[in-house]
Parts: sequence; structure tokens; C-alpha cells
Amino acid sequence: MKNRIVVRCLVLSGASPLAGAQHAAPLQFPRPTSAPVTDTTRPRVLASRDSALHALNRLAYGPRPGEVDRVAAQGVMHWIDRQLSPDEIDDRLLAQRERDFAILQYDRRELARLFVETQRARRERTREAVPEPAMGQQGRRLAGQFQQLAVMRAALSERQLYEVMVDVWTNHFHVFFGKGADRFLTPDYTERTIRPRALGRFEDLLIATAESPAMLFHLDNWQSIAPGATPPRLLRQRALERMPKGINENYARELLELHTLGVDGGYTQQDVINVARIFTGWSIARPQRGAGFEFHDWAHDDGEKQVLGVRFPAGRGQDEGIRLLKLLANHPATMQHVSRKLCRRFVNDGPPDGCVDDAAAAWQRSHGDIREVLRAIFRGPDFWAAENIRAKVKTPLEFVVSALRAVRANPDTVPSLAQLVAQLGQPLYLRVTPDGYAEQEDAWVNSGALLDRMNAAVALAAGKLPGVTSDLDAIVPATTDRDHLLASVDREVLGATMSENTRDVIARQIADISDPVAARALAVGLALGGPEFQMQ
Amino acid sequence: MTISRRVFVKSGGLALFSLGLDPLFLARAAFASNRPLPPLTAPARPVLVCVFQRGAVDGLNMIVPHGDSLYYRERPRIAVPEKDVVNLDGYFGLHPRLAALKPLWDNGSLAAIHAIGSPDATRSHFDAQDYMETATPGRKATPDGWLNRYCQHDREHQHTPFRAVAFGPQLPRTLAGSAPSLAIENLQTFGLRAPRQAARDRLTRAFEELYASSATGLLSSSSQEAFEAVQLLRRMNPTQYQPAHGADYPRGRFGRALLQIAQLIKANVGLRVAFADVTGWDTHVNQGASEGQLATRLSEFGQALAAFAHDLGETMRDVVVLTMSEFGRTVRENGNSGTDHGHATAMLVMGGPVNGGRVLGRWPGLHPASRFEGRDVAVTTDFRDLFAEILARHLGATDLAAIFPGFTPDAARFPGTIRT
Repeated sequence: MKNRIVVRCLVLSGASPLAGAQHAAPLQFPRPTSAPVTDTTRPRVLASRDSALHALNRLAYGPRPGEVDRVAAQGVMHWIDRQLSPDEIDDRLLAQRERDFAILQYDRRELARLFVETQRARRERTREAVPEPAMGQQGRRLAGQFQQLAVMRAALSERQLYEVMVDVWTNHFHVFFGKGADRFLTPDYTERTIRPRALGRFEDLLIATAESPAMLFHLDNWQSIAPGATPPRLLRQRALERMPKGINENYARELLELHTLGVDGGYTQQDVINVARIFTGWSIARPQRGAGFEFHDWAHDDGEKQVLGVRFPAGRGQDEGIRLLKLLANHPATMQHVSRKLCRRFVNDGPPDGCVDDAAAAWQRSHGDIREVLRAIFRGPDFWAAENIRAKVKTPLEFVVSALRAVRANPDTVPSLAQLVAQLGQPLYLRVTPDGYAEQEDAWVNSGALLDRMNAAVALAAGKLPGVTSDLDAIVPATTDRDHLLASVDREVLGATMSENTRDVIARQIADISDPVAARALAVGLALGGPEFQMQ
Repeated sequence: MTISRRVFVKSGGLALFSLGLDPLFLARAAFASNRPLPPLTAPARPVLVCVFQRGAVDGLNMIVPHGDSLYYRERPRIAVPEKDVVNLDGYFGLHPRLAALKPLWDNGSLAAIHAIGSPDATRSHFDAQDYMETATPGRKATPDGWLNRYCQHDREHQHTPFRAVAFGPQLPRTLAGSAPSLAIENLQTFGLRAPRQAARDRLTRAFEELYASSATGLLSSSSQEAFEAVQLLRRMNPTQYQPAHGADYPRGRFGRALLQIAQLIKANVGLRVAFADVTGWDTHVNQGASEGQLATRLSEFGQALAAFAHDLGETMRDVVVLTMSEFGRTVRENGNSGTDHGHATAMLVMGGPVNGGRVLGRWPGLHPASRFEGRDVAVTTDFRDLFAEILARHLGATDLAAIFPGFTPDAARFPGTIRT
């Protein structure tokens, strides 16, 4: 059925529907050159609820009640175009809710001050070695709020694709919130490094992360120095002993392997060492002075370097790092590697090569404009291919947020939802390794994790999650009419994907429950915890 | 169960075909169809416990070559001072924070293998872990892990849901594949939650039916394994567990994992292979010497292993614990009193069947000329020879070629960790 929709649409747009030819002809959907797709030019088939549901599952964190119909009515390509221009989407309600989150009132300088004060207070207390988060009670409260903020924004923002991309880059350029100074640097990193550039140019994002104190700390570059370099002002003997003595390869390697070229991107161990030399001196000011980016001339290796066969002449200081980042951002291996990750996120765990090639071609054409890369993916045939519809398992974050949206839940600042996402295996900003959370289903689907999802679904449907209110009465009214109940659960909660089997099982389960509210809670809980809702 | 397994397999198979998913899941569903309902107890022995030190442990500060002056010259700030090393054989010694393991060394149930690692040169954590877990260095397309392939091969013990268990939130790559395996974070809370048992049973049945009738692929096989385990656990009652002999597991995830593995072994539910992760070994900065970051991690690691052996007591005669890490770290300390990614590392093998009290493997020395690429400890034992030895001599695996594709395990190369 869905296959036919796509095929018809391809025919309408005048392109060949034959699979092999699809990637040669770059774009299959009618592509507006200047104006967005309007209702008159929109192919009628795109009004299908299936296309709308698919787009809402992938570009957004799932549909809210009634949203499938609304997107179908305005035209799914029109909705996608709007999502690609988030600044034009009114998001006042979210802005209003953000005001409740005190963490947003603190900038890096203030968080650094709080961190330093807490550290000092703790040293003075000199209690036994009880492990306690560095920021103490206030810090813990703010940290919980910061994690909860990510869930709240994902659930409530109208700029859904933008929030999805924030999550994509948060994982691609992952920093570990639990490591030393990153306990106070991560919120600033998210707000001022990732979020402003989530739909901008990849090169800008890459440079911003490279210069961010959070990344410099996370991957140890802040203390990577040219061997034997010493600071200009004299240090006391003890401080001199603690001084770094040479380069640290950590950032250099992950920059090449994770952020840009990919592990098979054709670099050598000598390239890693030379990249590390290029970034010597990229460091951080002391927390007492705001912990901002600092370039330490004295720590920089001034010699000539070669990376990927490109010569970096001696004596260019900080500029050679910027030059290297631009080289990496526009390297074909980077285009392929990052495009593949995007296709994995939006299309399929095993992304088709054609989809990756389309995205990489758009990257090349647009000089790494993330919006154009995404547009190429969403307009490509693979995105709409039948085998890719509902073919991805939701990550824990996607599962929790889509469930919240399905029942129109309203989270507050209590970090109960962030804790729930953590229980399901994805504590936000806390992946220990620098690769960020995985996108593939085998990272998330296992016996224990599935049982946890079922428990979470039952708790949410029964209104037992602290700090979460939902308006179930408006969505699925409690009724003794079981057919009516099942029909509204299917339509509003599952986007009309409920299988016959699921309907039968739920009907049997609620048959002997006389209390309509209890029956509804069980029906919604089973629907959210059941197999259909795990897929997107 | 209201829906027969046969129907489930059929519908699962159809759906899979139409979705074009990996045939792996078909194999997994087929496994399920042949299994009778789980018995409450099954002969459990022997057991293999695999521990993965993720992040690349510094083998040189774990099993310290204190008899080599080069070690001290290359690591002026992070070498473990001679006076602190727990001497083993005059040349090697344990890091002082592993002292809890010394009695096991002395009674012959703990061995170390040094200069062990992968023939692949990668210094990427992720690739190297992948290669070690699939046991196919250099080949990323391998669909399953070596422990799972062992389970596929071991048809004799396939009728218990607890045959292969990973303790943690994720199923590791080692256990991914067509043979059923469980991921359990906490035995006590594993299952549906409801205030009363009757409500719990009802919810369990409802979800079981939902997944049996509508799930496909990995969702289907994983959920089925989960419900079988829940059924068995209900009879086992895991809430009351006291470690024996006053064994004191350290707080934290790793100690909890080993405690639960001991619990499952004693419950006699047919556990054959268990897996646990222990993280925090990527010591690029200030790794410390006798004290410090690495020392803290080693302390938890050693205490947990010692508590496990203590807790199991006599039962250890059937158990082998194997520790592994994706690669080692540079011989020379880096500019930040840490170490960068290297090549060979050290692994430990502990248990009753172990030919312990010795450091096995050929030691290549630390001289720059004998190092890998002039900087790292060279690999003299392919990790697959150690894994193969343990599978063959401890678990009795016969078809090693199927478990280690593209590699011919050769008894002549086995490091000799298991008594024959």
C-alpha cells in the first residue's frame, strides 16, 4: 500500500519509479526551488495519513493526538519544509515553560563559580570519602533539571525536527556530563555550542565544538602541550611537577574517528599525532576566571606538520587548527561518515547506500548546510520506501518522549522523566564513552530493557509518574463501551497502527474490569508498552 | 500460553520475510520453537564468566613488570614503585590495589597472561572492542559474538533461559546472535511491577500475549526470552540472597553484577556463560601510580573478583572467570601523567580449573626495538588462542572452527591456563 503511494508520487513528479534509477535521478519529489510546496502543487497522495505518521515518527518525537490528521491536511512535504525552517515556527508555549527551568538562568561563569565554591566547601568539610556530585545539593538539583529540560523540550516543542537534530549532534559531539569540569560546562555547551548550530553549517558546528571548553575538557585537549613547553610566568616547584609534559592524543583521535572522517576514513597513527600537535595550546581558562576558551601560545607546537598529506607550515599558531577543522569538515570521508549517521537516524539502521550518496551530494553542493543534507534525505525515495516505514525501534528517549506526546502529558521540572529515560538505559549526557548513544536497535532491545519499557508504559498510563500530568480524559475518554475505548486508543495513541492481535489481546484483558478508568489505564498501558509502539 | 510457539514462529517468520529483516532472527525464533518449557533446575556446571574492562586497561600497571628498569625509566611519574608491588615471580607483580587477589594466586587458582591482544593494529576503542567481542579482528561485518556462537554450538544445554546472561542495561556484542541470551540489570526487579502477585501475573500474561502475537524480529525473540526468565525467576525467589562466607562485594555496578552471577550459579538454573562490564580504564590523564585513578578502579575490580571467589567457595571448582580489555596502553607515559592507546595488555583467568600461580604467554620485553610500532607492548598471544583454550578445555567445546571463523585454533598455541 505504502509502496504504491510512493510509486504514484514518483510518477507524478515525472521521475522513474524503478529502484535502480532512483539514485541517478537525485530527487524524486517535486522540489520547490523558491516557494515552499503549496496545497495546489502538492501531490494528492501525500495527504495520506501513512506519510504523515511516518514523517511525525522520524522528524518528530511521534504524533500528538490529532496531529497525524493535521499534518496530512496541510500536506506532509509542506510540514517538512516548515520543520526545516524552525525560526518561522511559533514556539511561545515552550519558551514559557522554559522559564520554569532555573538552570537556564545560569551562564557558564556562574556555574563555574558555584562549582568552585562547592568544591571548596567540600574540602573544608573533609568528611569521609562519600562520593557526592561536585555541585552539592543545588548542583544536583540543577543537573537533574538540565536532563529533564531535554525531555521537556523534545516533548513540547513545535520545532520538532530542530529538537531531534539537537539530540543527533549532542550524541555525535558527545561530552560526558559526569567528568570533572564537564559537570558545570555541559549545560553551557548544549545551550551555546550545539543548539544555535543544530541546523546550520557542519563546519561551524565542528569549529564551535573544538573550541568549546566542554569538549576540550572531555577529551583532555586542554592539557595537551608541546613537549617541554613551560608557561611564561614562573610556577612553584610543585605546580611545575604537576604540569603537563607533552601531547595527549585523545581529542585528536576522536576528532578523526568519531566527529569527522570515520574510523575507516584513511588516516594513520602519524596523522593522529600531528593533529594532536596542531591542537596543542587549545585550552581553558581557570574556573575562577570563567572557564572560557583560551589559546596558550606558549604551549603550542610551532613545528611544521602534515595531516592526510596536507602540509601545515610552521608558526601559524591557532590558525592551523581552524584550517585543519575546515579541511576535515569538507573532506569526502566526513561527508560520507556523517551522512551515513544521519541516514541511520532518519531512514534505517542499515542505511541504503543511495540514500547516503544523495545526502553526501547535497552536502557537497551546499558546502555542508545541514538543512540541505536533511532535505535531500527527506525527498529521497529511501525515506519513503515501504521497507523503511515503522522499521526502526525507538531509543529509550524516543520511547519516553513519544509516549508523553501520545497522551499529551505535561512534564514539570521534577526530573522524573529524565530518571525514567535513564532507567531504560540512556541516562542523558552520561554515556561514558565519547561515541554518544547508539542508533541501532540491538543497542536497545533486550529482555531486561523491554520489561522496563512495559513497566514505564503502565506507570505513565496509570498517572503514577511524579511531576507528570496528562489529559487522558480529553484523548481517550473512560467509557464502558469497550469498542469505543479500543478505537480511540488505536486512533489517538497508536496512530491507527494497532494490529488485530493487539486489539484482541487488549479486549480480552479489559473484559472483566468493571471500572472504566482502570480499564482505560490498562488499555493505554498495554498499547504504549506493546510492540507497535516500540517501532517508528 | 494461549498462543502456541509454532503459530508464533510462523507469523514471526512471515512478517520478517515481508520486512526483509536479517535472517538472524529467524534462526533465533527457530531456536525458541524447539525449546520445551524451562525446568526449574538444570545441571549448571561448568560455568564461564567473562568480564570486559572497557576503555583499554593499562596492563603494565595491572600486572607490573617491576623487574625491568625500562618500565621505571619510561614512566617516571606513574610507575608503581618497587616497594609497593605485590611480587608474583620476581619479575612481575600485582598492582598493590589488587592485593585481594594474591591468596588466589598463591593457591593456584589465578593466572595472568601478558602481552595478549589482537593481531589488528587499530587503536580505536570501538573497533577493538568489536573485534574482541566477535573474535574476528579486522572484520566488522560479523553478525554475532563469539560467546553467542558458543551457545549456538552447545545444543546440549539450550533448554534454559538462563544459559547466557549479561548483567547490565545492554546485551553486549559478545552475546549478540541467534542463540537466546538475557540482559538483566537487577534480578530482584526483573519482571513486570505491580503491588500484588495476582496483578503482576496478569500484567505479565497480557504483555506476553501481546508480544507473542504482534512483535517481530528482535522485539519478538527478546520479549519471549524475557517472559521465560520471569516465569523461572518467580519460582526461584531472588529477593533473599546473602553472600556466603562473609564475602564482601564492593559497592557499585561491577560488584552487584558479580554478586548476581554468583546468585544465579548457586540457584542452579543452568547458567553456562555470564558477562559483566567494568568501565573507567581510559586513563589519558593523571592515572596515578600506587594511588590515584587507576588504583581506585583496580581496587574495585580486584575486591569484586575476590569476593566472588570467596562467595562461591567450593563451587569455584566448576567456574572460570576470564577478564579482557580491547587493547593496552603506551609503554611511555604521555604529557599528562597518563597513557594513550596502545596494543597488547594483560588478562586474568581465575577459578578451580585454572593452572594458576603463573604469568603465562611469551613476554616480548619493553625494549623499543621489540615494541609494536616502537611504542606499545607487542602482542605475542592472539586473544583467540586464550578464548579457544577456555572454551575447549573448560566448557568442552568441540567445534572451535565454527566459533572462531577465519581462525584455526591450535592446542599447541594455547597459553595453558586450564589444567588438563
